[in-house]
Amino acid sequence: MGSPIKSWEGATAYFTGADSPGMLKAIFVLMLLVAGFVIFNAMRHEKRVTRKLEESGYE
Amino acid sequence: MTPEELERAVKMASTINMEVYYWWCTAVMVLIHAGFLAYEMGASRVKNTLASGVKNILAFAFTVPAFYAIGWWIYLAMYKGLSPDFEAGAAGVPWSMSMGPNLGDNATGVFWAAFMMFSATTASILSGAVIERIRLSAFIILAIALGSFVWILAASWGWHPTGWLTTRWGFHDTAAAGCVHTVAGFFSLGVLIQLGGRIGRFNPDGTANEIAGHSMPMTVIGLMMIIVGFFGFLGGCIIWQQNAQWMTIFNTPATLSAFAFNTLMGFSGGVIGAYVMSRGNPFWMMSGALAGIISVAPGLELYYPPLAFLVAFIGGCIIKPVATLIEKARIDDAVGAVAVHGATGFYGVVMVGVLASGYPNAGEAPPINLGGQIGGAFVMALLGFVPGFVIAYVLKALGRLRVASSVEELGLDLAEIATHPYPENSTPATGNGRERLAARAT
Repeated sequence: MGSPIKSWEGATAYFTGADSPGMLKAIFVLMLLVAGFVIFNAMRHEKRVTRKLEESGYE
Repeated sequence: MTPEELERAVKMASTINMEVYYWWCTAVMVLIHAGFLAYEMGASRVKNTLASGVKNILAFAFTVPAFYAIGWWIYLAMYKGLSPDFEAGAAGVPWSMSMGPNLGDNATGVFWAAFMMFSATTASILSGAVIERIRLSAFIILAIALGSFVWILAASWGWHPTGWLTTRWGFHDTAAAGCVHTVAGFFSLGVLIQLGGRIGRFNPDGTANEIAGHSMPMTVIGLMMIIVGFFGFLGGCIIWQQNAQWMTIFNTPATLSAFAFNTLMGFSGGVIGAYVMSRGNPFWMMSGALAGIISVAPGLELYYPPLAFLVAFIGGCIIKPVATLIEKARIDDAVGAVAVHGATGFYGVVMVGVLASGYPNAGEAPPINLGGQIGGAFVMALLGFVPGFVIAYVLKALGRLRVASSVEELGLDLAEIATHPYPENSTPATGNGRERLAARAT
């Protein structure tokens, strides 16, 4: 993590926290996992709400 | 200052101007989403207001990382059809040096952002159609599929300088009516067929009941905000050149002045056409404004303005009858998305072939022609419909598409959002003046 450059002179692409191709891809995959987990969690939430409504006798 | 320094300074100024131009196009486009947000919440009953809003906000949010992950690569790599050009796509992979802060690249980020807003627009088009009964998780999956895969594949084929629809068939669609509106409208149709109507929408004998939203003013203001955002959208459809005339995405010349004439003519013709057909219903009139602009969008730089008015007038006229046909087929499109986006996108693309055949395309591509436009319109419609239908079918088979009937009847806000849109209970829909008057009268 931290700065991938030592000077702005001649700097072009600078991806903070991704000073190696492996790290860059790892951060990218982590972003996808976070988004995917939230969708999965939304599915669980929907299932839980439906079950609770049915248990409460609301039809 | 030496001539070389002067040249560098002029070039840099032009580069920065380009960057600024697309930055503000993107900012204005955010208004499309503010508009869709208000539009959908107003079109929902009180019990579903916030759930509709949350769905719309999440459509925007989830398409951003998804479009970053794959969308830009699809656009750059898939222009030949289904075989990717990996070399061309290399600049669009998430680990490309162009896909982040880069002092040597002022263009990729702003172009990516503008395209990203188009993605979110397609997801918002779907969002309105499916309100009040779709599961949030299913909607997010569908929004990601539409916003980050489907529409951008259509754009690579038909809204790309070397997309195969243009290089082989002469397809021309300056302001993305086909790849954005036709695709999103027909994708929505595929989803709606699988999703089914809201409880109480259709009677056993096949007749339909109207389910009115809780705030027509909110819906109409939302539609007007979408029109404002459209100016950013259309501005994002023209290519800035270093010290030269603007170009369309197909590398043919254009001006923003032509866009200005015909966008306003599109608005005007669409509103008036829908006013005639709906007998002054403000929802359809403002939907007509969208339909009018979408109708003229494929030939936005080509039409003589009064001709654009006439094209848009017909576009505004057709949305209500198309929506009625869809309703008769027992398809519950809560906001008329299939009619306004799918049908008028299709119609607009075809009308360029009817009215503007013979205009040259760039390079070796055939000139604009009716066959190419009709073929392109069908490709867009199918490319939208099939994935929407199939993905929704799979979600339905897994029992993940639609909320339980108990949740639908209670209302998605209470069941899933756990907060109230109008805690003081002061909304006209719940303290309805007409009901009070009727009660007093009896």
